[in-house]
Amino acid sequence: MMDNPKVEILAPAGSYESLSAALKAGCDAVYFGVEQLNMRARSSFNFTTDDLQEISRRCQEAQVKAYLTLNTILYDHDIRLMKTIVDQAKACGISAIIASDHAVMAYCLKIGMPLHISTQVNVTNIETVEFYATFANVIVLSRELSLRQVKEITREIERRNITGPSGELVRIEVFAHGALCMAVSGKCYLSLHSHNASANRGACIQNCRKQYLVTDKEDGIELEIDNEYIMSAKDLCTIGFLDKLLEAGVRILKLEGRGRSADYVDTVVSCYREAVEAIQESTYTPEKIEAWTGRLATVYNRGFWDGYYLGRKMGEWNDSYGSKATEKKILIGKGIKYFGKIKVGEFGMESHALKKGDQILITGPATGVIRTTVEEMRVADVVVEQVAKGDVFSMRVPDTIKPNDKLYKVVKA
Amino acid sequence: MFRILFQRAKCIGCNGCVEAAPMRWQVSKKDGRCNLVEGKEKKGIYQVLAGMDEFALNQQAAANCPVKIIRLEVVKAKHQP
Repeated sequence: MMDNPKVEILAPAGSYESLSAALKAGCDAVYFGVEQLNMRARSSFNFTTDDLQEISRRCQEAQVKAYLTLNTILYDHDIRLMKTIVDQAKACGISAIIASDHAVMAYCLKIGMPLHISTQVNVTNIETVEFYATFANVIVLSRELSLRQVKEITREIERRNITGPSGELVRIEVFAHGALCMAVSGKCYLSLHSHNASANRGACIQNCRKQYLVTDKEDGIELEIDNEYIMSAKDLCTIGFLDKLLEAGVRILKLEGRGRSADYVDTVVSCYREAVEAIQESTYTPEKIEAWTGRLATVYNRGFWDGYYLGRKMGEWNDSYGSKATEKKILIGKGIKYFGKIKVGEFGMESHALKKGDQILITGPATGVIRTTVEEMRVADVVVEQVAKGDVFSMRVPDTIKPNDKLYKVVKA
Repeated sequence: MFRILFQRAKCIGCNGCVEAAPMRWQVSKKDGRCNLVEGKEKKGIYQVLAGMDEFALNQQAAANCPVKIIRLEVVKAKHQP
């Protein structure tokens, strides 16, 4: 058994909700993007440089590292903004920049800002690791490597004593959970080709997730391709062989999902946190793996496979569009007030109904995610069995909620 | 005449509009987003009136925009008595 080296769980923070959820669920680090120079530039919500201070403050308070993604391709007109972002990140105490463009690497090295090499760089061998060690303390490997190849790289880092600018051995990060894409290290041209929306500028429209027909041009006959979404890879899930990932010398586990919701972040971080601890305490059992897999399936997913790690041939494609989550959440109302002493929250119902025993979820920028079961509900201090649209009611909630937090009912999908 | 409307805050600086209509679009080296030449800001939307001779090129600029934040509106000329 290994000697329990420090393993970092790196969580996605695409919004303040997700950031709070990640911090509460026990991540060791978060990654996020600001402005338009990140791979989720198209996203409906993007942090700005004005958010850097607050994100940094919250992370430092939780003793969690904060990594800023600045990993799109860059044009000449982006250089000034890039430098402004790196300067502000450094001033705010952000832990590191994740980059793929050499201009960012050179600038980080120049001003002494810690750097991680993005998976977009497609690092697949030890010589390339050694090359980038001049600039970076952490290297995110290509997602297409097998565990055998990953292990070879980490072994060589130790043997050759490859250190980063910090003077410590270069650490290896890999993707552990979440969406995979059909293109090698995300370098995809599909979206640009069809919609002039470059994936490499964070504007991917995800054409690969759709179903396509092949048309015989001669006679116009349309053929469905084996009923599969042949470009839409299933989601990566490594919880069943996480011990092997750690044995391969991986020190940072990236959980994908800056575009996903706070409850997704909460569930995924919690499961992987528990799994890493179980491995380190030698209590990593098939029963636990089954339970974690079940929990991971409750939130957004396109079905799971183990990626390229176990050396299997390609071919795990979706057979349907969208999520296969076993649970879904329905927005039914919002938070009004929290009475801390008695741990009671007041809510306003805006649609649907809620009754005793229902599973609920409350999310908010400061709240993160709270999951609980409805016990007693009161309307105007009278106990009721059910509340419906228009009702203002109160119930016990284990943690603080804020006005305008969203209240969801969780139901089977 | 036609009016160009541009939601600058959502621009990702891809350069697509500049390639189509460089007389009307320039990328700012300050923040990497596009500027609508002679555009005036009103509640976050930059607007400018342009002659129809520019219409086709700006139509291409709007079509090139990956985040669809450029809109064109044809403005009917006021009747001259």
